[in-house]
Amino acid sequence: MTTRRVKGIGELPRDIPPARDLWPKIAEAIQADLSMKAVPDTRRRTGWWPAVGLAASVALVAVGVFIGKNFKPDEAQTLAGTQTLAPAADGGDSGMVKASLREAAYQKQRDQLWKEVQVKLNSMPPAEREKVGKSLATLKKSIQEIHDALGHDPANALLQELLVTTSQEEMRVLTTVRDSGRQEL
Amino acid sequence: MKPDTVVNFDVALIERAQKGDAKAFERLYREHVGRVHGLCLRMTRNPDTAADCVQDAFIKAWKALPRFEARASFSTWLHRIAVNTVLEKRRGPAKAEIPVEDPGEYEEPTMVFDTPVEEEELEAAIESLPQGARDALVLCGLYGYEHQEAASMLGIAVGTCKAQLHRARGLLKDRLERGVR
Repeated sequence: MTTRRVKGIGELPRDIPPARDLWPKIAEAIQADLSMKAVPDTRRRTGWWPAVGLAASVALVAVGVFIGKNFKPDEAQTLAGTQTLAPAADGGDSGMVKASLREAAYQKQRDQLWKEVQVKLNSMPPAEREKVGKSLATLKKSIQEIHDALGHDPANALLQELLVTTSQEEMRVLTTVRDSGRQEL
Repeated sequence: MKPDTVVNFDVALIERAQKGDAKAFERLYREHVGRVHGLCLRMTRNPDTAADCVQDAFIKAWKALPRFEARASFSTWLHRIAVNTVLEKRRGPAKAEIPVEDPGEYEEPTMVFDTPVEEEELEAAIESLPQGARDALVLCGLYGYEHQEAASMLGIAVGTCKAQLHRARGLLKDRLERGVR
């Protein structure tokens, strides 16, 4: 069988249709892409939760280093767990009321602790103050971001757990920082 | 060069596809698939690999479409993605196989034979060329890209592209005279 004769490379056909239709696989990928884009923002943003958690962890570790320098292990332990944010076990309306009261009490204590910690920070050497202050700010920001995210996706169990854990840690850290100088007095 | 009407038609389809219209993108695919497939087939020398590259290239194009600027050539943009996809399949860009000589003497990308040759014979001769030389010949000699553009697509220096094309022309002439392979 002979084919067409050509006088140069430029005469070769540029278009060579594929032997089979390649569109179905491309269409499948496009549909997947479109479906992903159609998912509400709050769900797609879950990608940054690990980042928030990581930021909180880094802040906790940084503050932990400071605590480790200033506290004996048994003292740190007694300070831990001064607050719990576990949800009401009895459920129902009375559970909700109790939870609200607990939330108000927690918020009050938290605000008070932040005030006391601020005073404590002012008495620290500049380098230490900057380091601890920065870590606490990151921690506070992380909690705020988790709160915001829960506003968009209130039923997200992972976020709820992250909020409880991070808030408990925040209280523990704040208490520890506040009391860090007492043994030296 | 495509007629203006086709280019304008493309622009309207691109704008629709950029807004997420898959039907518009399918029409772009139907219009361009032959050329993209021809390019991939000649670069890979394998119909299955070429088909994979075409599919990957169009999927990448769909995802990158929002960043495509309408004033650029859609066809060139698509070919660039296709060439990249072929190079990725090869795992790493084509390496220069010969030292670069003075590129000035290798400017002419077209190749005309004294005696006409059979299309099939010519395709077989191109297929038998070493990878680097074949890439340069396909992009510059067949698809009409300037050395600058082809070199950029292939991730090589312009001088290397010119040298590879010069080498490809020599090898091709030799193989056609002796009979391919």
